[in-house]
Amino acid sequence: MQKLQGIAVSPGAVIGEALVMDTEGFRIPRRFVARDAVVDELERFNKAVTAAAVEIAHHRETVSAELGEKYGAIFEAHLQMLQDSRLRGEVEELIRQRHYSPEYAVSHVLRRYAQVFQRLESSYLAERANDIFDIEKRLLRHLLGRRREGISHLTSPVLVLAHNLTPSETSNLDRRFVRGFVTEVGGPGSHTAIVAEALEIPAVVGTGPFLTDVSGGETVIIDGDQGLVILQPDEETLARYRREAEEKRIQATKLEPLRDLPAETRDGVRIELLGNIEFPYEVDHCVDRGADGVGLYRTEFLYLGAEIEPTEEIHYQAYTRVVQAMGNKPVVIRTFDLGADKMPNMPHPEDNRNPCLGLRSIRLALRNLPVFRTQLRAILRASVLGKVHVMFPLVSTLLELRQAKMVLADVMEDLQEHNLPFDRNMPVGMMVETPAAAMMADRFVEEVDFLSIGTNDLIQYTLAVDRTNKDVVGLYNPVDPAVLKLVAMAIEAADRKPVPISMCGQMSGSPLYTILLLGMGLRRFSVTPSAIPEVKNLCRRVTIPECRTVAERVMTMENARDVKNYLKEEVKKYVEEVAE
Amino acid sequence: MSETVVRRTVVVTDPMGVHARTALAISKIVGQGKSQVKLVKKDRQARATEVLQIMTMVAELGERVEIEAVGPDAAAVADALEPLFAGKFNDETQESA
Repeated sequence: MQKLQGIAVSPGAVIGEALVMDTEGFRIPRRFVARDAVVDELERFNKAVTAAAVEIAHHRETVSAELGEKYGAIFEAHLQMLQDSRLRGEVEELIRQRHYSPEYAVSHVLRRYAQVFQRLESSYLAERANDIFDIEKRLLRHLLGRRREGISHLTSPVLVLAHNLTPSETSNLDRRFVRGFVTEVGGPGSHTAIVAEALEIPAVVGTGPFLTDVSGGETVIIDGDQGLVILQPDEETLARYRREAEEKRIQATKLEPLRDLPAETRDGVRIELLGNIEFPYEVDHCVDRGADGVGLYRTEFLYLGAEIEPTEEIHYQAYTRVVQAMGNKPVVIRTFDLGADKMPNMPHPEDNRNPCLGLRSIRLALRNLPVFRTQLRAILRASVLGKVHVMFPLVSTLLELRQAKMVLADVMEDLQEHNLPFDRNMPVGMMVETPAAAMMADRFVEEVDFLSIGTNDLIQYTLAVDRTNKDVVGLYNPVDPAVLKLVAMAIEAADRKPVPISMCGQMSGSPLYTILLLGMGLRRFSVTPSAIPEVKNLCRRVTIPECRTVAERVMTMENARDVKNYLKEEVKKYVEEVAE
Repeated sequence: MSETVVRRTVVVTDPMGVHARTALAISKIVGQGKSQVKLVKKDRQARATEVLQIMTMVAELGERVEIEAVGPDAAAVADALEPLFAGKFNDETQESA
């Protein structure tokens, strides 16, 4: 058994069959062969070696002729390695003694060889592992022949283990069968994290190199709550995770009847629970959980991984899908919240030493008006299909907000000239995710129809902490008193006006903070759809005065640890168990 | 010709270490000779005719490798192997860069 610690980016735990995604994206099922088939399987292995050898020899000749002997020599070396007596002996031993399928045996043995290189500091030699992988791939191609399964055509549930997942890879994954993700690199904001959350499957990122330690088909556990990946789990560990999965299932079943009940406190205050989504299909998760709307529709996916800038029609189709699915419930569409580096066809900014403090999000939109206008046009066109709201991200000054609203007014005029219908009264709001926006909230409320607190960025900017930096991540805390003061300021300003205010960061989806936020006056939560039942359950068990008492006490505390410990105790009074 | 045993310690001076091409050249020279050769690096050893074994012994720049040759042409084989650890290949495809 081997445990790897990574960063937990999407909750839940899952046990399943590993799909290792570096072998040209095909998978090696762990298969055992029947005792009486061993001879045939050995022959199949030997045939594959012969076929691979012929292929390599052919390559060597072509390459030598075209580029010279020196380059052909690498294939000569591959040929020698392929025919290495010890290697062949080891593979044959696994087939004969342990009844491994040749595919699994090849993958297992060659990965052990590759490991020798990958463990090295020196990059020259570490890259040598590629020679081994090359041989592995070649053998597997011959062994699997036409039976090789692509990742887009899965037939059984798998856990995807990869160095990194590109947007095009994740978009090609068969969603019906992917049950979890692990990537060696990446942080909380990585593409994998976003997709995993959208698919509501556990994910761990940033584990560091481990792919050579695992062969496709092996049983792996992904613990997306603790950020753990467990390879070759022992029986005891498997039993524990199975038990926990069963308990979770029971818990989820218990919460199911809440679906059609309102999120209403014991003293009759109606709380609105909306869903955060990234991909249009997630709107179905919101409907399934009985969400009161979509409180945050992130639109970054339209740009990420796109070769060219998405057209107005592409935007419009995506928005239409979501708005129509929600019917008469609100959908808050947030305009793109990205840096130039993630945008197709946009020149990288010259000065990008500090991307989080640089040209991104609304700032980038205001500098690239054609791109911004395309998105706004599509949002406005979709506004006649339901209750659409538009929201601007990362606003830090009043002038930015006014500029953005001017662009919107301009686009409206344009649509009118072309006789295209739109909702002239579409509510316009902004994120409160910079300390500046929170401190100026009393001024902002004069010029917006609603606010939404984005805690992820607000915490980062308030505490000056990059949460992907493991050296300082301990400082990143939603209940740091400094963060809470800013949240309180925003809520008070919104209530005074009054304009609706919601919270859409990860904080709002954690039941640990529900009581506190209710006590601080928050009545609208936008959370990842899977979190709706738990948050609703808690809302229905408390009264507002109880929550206020908790919030008042919290506001006197001086550090995040005290707040967290206190909240843990308080939550226990209402529900049995709460994940952070 | 008599059976001789030659032990010679070489230091890897090829910046890329003992790589696939080096391993291949070693195995070829040894395969053509009449002596049994093994390479030893600390606790690891490799039969000098097996490319994969030589490579997975992992000899990096600056490391010591012992050539142990037994046979009638042991000294000649060891002589032929030595330059390979410095990245010098005795054929027309001399390293250019």
